[in-house]
Amino acid sequence: MIKRLKILLIVLIWPGLLFCHSAIAQSDNSGQRRVTGTYAITNATIITMPGSILPNATIIVRNGLIHMVGTDIKPPKDALLIPGDSLFVYPGFIDAMGDQGVSAPAKIDNPKDMDPSDPPNDIAGISPERDVLDYWDAKARSVEEWRKVGFTISEIVPKGEMLPGKSALVIFGNEGSSNVITRANGLYAQFETPRNLYPGTILGIMAKWRELYRNAELKSKHASLFVSSANGISRPEKDKTLEALYPVINGQIPVIFKTKDELEIRRALKLQQELGFKMILAGIESGSRLIEDIKTSSSKVILSLDLPDDEASKLDIEDASEEVKMAHERVVDAYNKVLAEAGEFEKAKVPFAFGSAEAKDGEFFKNMRLRIKNGLSEEAALAALTVHPAEILGIKDFAGTLEKGKLANLVVTTDSLFKENTDVKYVMADGYLFEYDIDKTNNGNGEVKHILGTWKYVSETPGGSSEGTMEFKEHSGELCGNIVVDDPDGSGKITRELKDIHFKSNKLSFSFSVMVEAQKLYVNVKGAIEGGKFDGTLNIKDMGSYSFKATKEPDFKF
Amino acid sequence: MLLAQTPKGSVLIQNATILTVTRGTLEESDVLVKDGIIEKIGKDLSAPKGVETIDASGKYLMPGIIDAHSHLALDVINEATAPITAQVAMADVVNPFDVGIYRALAGGTTIAHGLHGSANAIGGQSITLKYRYGTDNPEDLFMKEAPRTIKFALGENPTRVHGRGKNIQPRTRMGVEAIIRNGFAEAQQYKKAWEEYNAVKDKKNNKAIPPEYNLKLQTLADILAGEIIIHCHSYRADEIYMLINVCRDFGVDKLVFTHVNEGFKVAPELAKYTMGASVFSDWWAYKFEVYYSTAYNSAILLENNVITSINSDSDELIRHLYHEAAKTQRYGGLTDDQALSLITINPAKQLGIDQYVGSIEEGKQADLVIFNSHPLSVYAIPQMTFVDGVKYFDINTDKNDQRLKVSPTEMVEPVYLQGEGESCMHGVEFFTNEEASFNHSH
Repeated sequence: MIKRLKILLIVLIWPGLLFCHSAIAQSDNSGQRRVTGTYAITNATIITMPGSILPNATIIVRNGLIHMVGTDIKPPKDALLIPGDSLFVYPGFIDAMGDQGVSAPAKIDNPKDMDPSDPPNDIAGISPERDVLDYWDAKARSVEEWRKVGFTISEIVPKGEMLPGKSALVIFGNEGSSNVITRANGLYAQFETPRNLYPGTILGIMAKWRELYRNAELKSKHASLFVSSANGISRPEKDKTLEALYPVINGQIPVIFKTKDELEIRRALKLQQELGFKMILAGIESGSRLIEDIKTSSSKVILSLDLPDDEASKLDIEDASEEVKMAHERVVDAYNKVLAEAGEFEKAKVPFAFGSAEAKDGEFFKNMRLRIKNGLSEEAALAALTVHPAEILGIKDFAGTLEKGKLANLVVTTDSLFKENTDVKYVMADGYLFEYDIDKTNNGNGEVKHILGTWKYVSETPGGSSEGTMEFKEHSGELCGNIVVDDPDGSGKITRELKDIHFKSNKLSFSFSVMVEAQKLYVNVKGAIEGGKFDGTLNIKDMGSYSFKATKEPDFKF
Repeated sequence: MLLAQTPKGSVLIQNATILTVTRGTLEESDVLVKDGIIEKIGKDLSAPKGVETIDASGKYLMPGIIDAHSHLALDVINEATAPITAQVAMADVVNPFDVGIYRALAGGTTIAHGLHGSANAIGGQSITLKYRYGTDNPEDLFMKEAPRTIKFALGENPTRVHGRGKNIQPRTRMGVEAIIRNGFAEAQQYKKAWEEYNAVKDKKNNKAIPPEYNLKLQTLADILAGEIIIHCHSYRADEIYMLINVCRDFGVDKLVFTHVNEGFKVAPELAKYTMGASVFSDWWAYKFEVYYSTAYNSAILLENNVITSINSDSDELIRHLYHEAAKTQRYGGLTDDQALSLITINPAKQLGIDQYVGSIEEGKQADLVIFNSHPLSVYAIPQMTFVDGVKYFDINTDKNDQRLKVSPTEMVEPVYLQGEGESCMHGVEFFTNEEASFNHSH
């Protein structure tokens, strides 16, 4: 008895000691802890949800939640004050299909003597049991980059092929937190396959889906039979793939099916109709002609944030034949149709969201403006970034609007959200504030002249120093250019086109590719410009970063 | 998917020379089509109110051409990863935007059998397509009345892809036979397992466990049950006779051979035990197993009562199958009706759709082509093509650019060059250097 009491005491005391320990730690000798979790943005234009605008209003955030929003609110004493005069406050954006911070699983070697017609599931791109969080890095640069343009929550999907795994809902908050909201809330599916293994094409994928699904149903039936009356029932063989499909066949989680175009959407709808799962059609680039079918299927819609490059308008076809001109017109028309897709879904009253997977953060605002120019209303654009994804992901109780009690996710901009020169000044995610520099002196398209022209560059790599020129031009409001590099496959120089050129706030980045031994190598360059000098780094995937400096050649003037 | 009715047209075609194929030639006669069906054939027919009349004086009217072997308008052709892929279905990968469909219509083709490729001993389930060009819904192209069909392949293609390429069975012709026999035998066991389970599953206190679902074996069981017509890629007489015997052993009689270059050697057997042979007019010697061939093949087969058709297996040949049929008059002296039967009623029989199409008869579907001169003449040019009484091609009034879908970024759409435009082995990756340079592979 006495002994037992002793144990009990120890058990009681220990947590107490631990508590003391952590209480002492609250003095935070590391200096990392923030001074306050309470913020007040005062006298700002607050858009609490699409269509609801409060001028000269104040929003108060306390410990990760929205505490109050409205006019005539006095900030509490412990609040960090952010004067919001001239600023606009929006609900933080929700990415309905993102891959920020998600890395691909390590490649598994094929087992010895594997029969390619019947490979193990994980080799064949079928791993529904995987959890994207096992491959997620909350501190990844892509998380920071997408947060910087206003995203605060993302439904992240795993990388892989046919069935890469389960998705999860994460928040782009403080790095001290796990930042996970819910895990395994969807099964991600794609029309992708490994090479030379079954299933190797969409033909195989369609058949494999049917088989996996039916067998998951049969297996689950067998398993429940075994649970209810095991006597006389053979033991159900454990199968991690089929068991991972149970939440889908039971209707607990949807399939998030990546479907870029009409034919992929139709294939996914066909499977859904035959098998009967809940579905989110995600990453759609064009699909507005199928709106009625999509509505009938009760599937949810996530459009891709990505837009194709406007290749056609760059062409000079003035002297071309009539036939070429007509063909050109059709390409322009097709391009404009892609821009109008979001507007078409709005017109049909489909509450769609956007997904960032495969899109570039640097093109986010530009692409949104293009959609708005082509028929999407600003209100629907904002809804597709806030309330609609919240609805689709089932999180509208705590996210999507700036209302009392919701998570403190917000975007603060210098002007109305989709205006040409608007900048993001602050983003708050999970109640943590992120502030961004806005250098107005070197901003916007007007200042592009700082980089237009020819540059001489020097790059230091382990292979020695290499030199050459690069040139930036402007074409219908967009930057383009080329770079002359040493031919890696021989002697002499080759000219490569520059891609993804971004120039903002004196930061310049671009990329290009070169062929090395029949392999395409992607080169990314990033850095800052000051007074006609560029100081940056050149990065080659899986190889490393090297210094890259350039000097602008003087412009000739006559 | 919303169930959409495919368009059905009404039209009166007057004063044409009508090549009915099954009922001889009718001079200066009319065909009245109502709601997609040939209602009346005769002279001095008048059009009901609102029905368009087309004057075909001096022109020839024939049934829409039927191609029993095509890979046109399919996004994928080979699931070349296993020796048996009976579980896959070409219906899943039909691409209605392929402008090749319009080009085929401009060559008078109205129906084509979209086949899986020939990489596997047993390939995927094929799809019979009516070329109702202009729809964005693949299912609008499906000929719903057509029975199920499946692709088989013998000889060098499956042994090269699986045997030499991956070092699995089949490596030889014997292996191909073993693969097919084993597949059928497994399907029998599979069928039995499910029958046993289904017999007791609803009984009280039963302890039966459902067998594993296997779409491949289910499809093979459906073949054994006579629900699916086999179309088998083949060249040599011995392998043709081998599959006839395998099918006889398993009680399968719905069997068509395709290519069949040595078919003339086993014509009596083909006539007795199969639904016929679908051949090239004069195409051979593109690989070792196709050297022993003759342009008289179709004529010999036809004269030996084999249901014979001529197919394209090519997005280009499908545009002038009437030329291919005409070659049998030079090599074999076939009559006009015999030659035309090779691209109309005979392929219809091989696809199990001859009660609906393949000839100009009252009650049949109005798939029709108007030619400027006799279709077996080298000067023949199709003028108009109808499917279900709806005009899908008109040489005089159609726009130049008939593409349904245009890339938003590509000014010049990519052109994929292949051996001779054939596509039987499309999408198959080869595994040795020797085969990498091997580009003709029917």
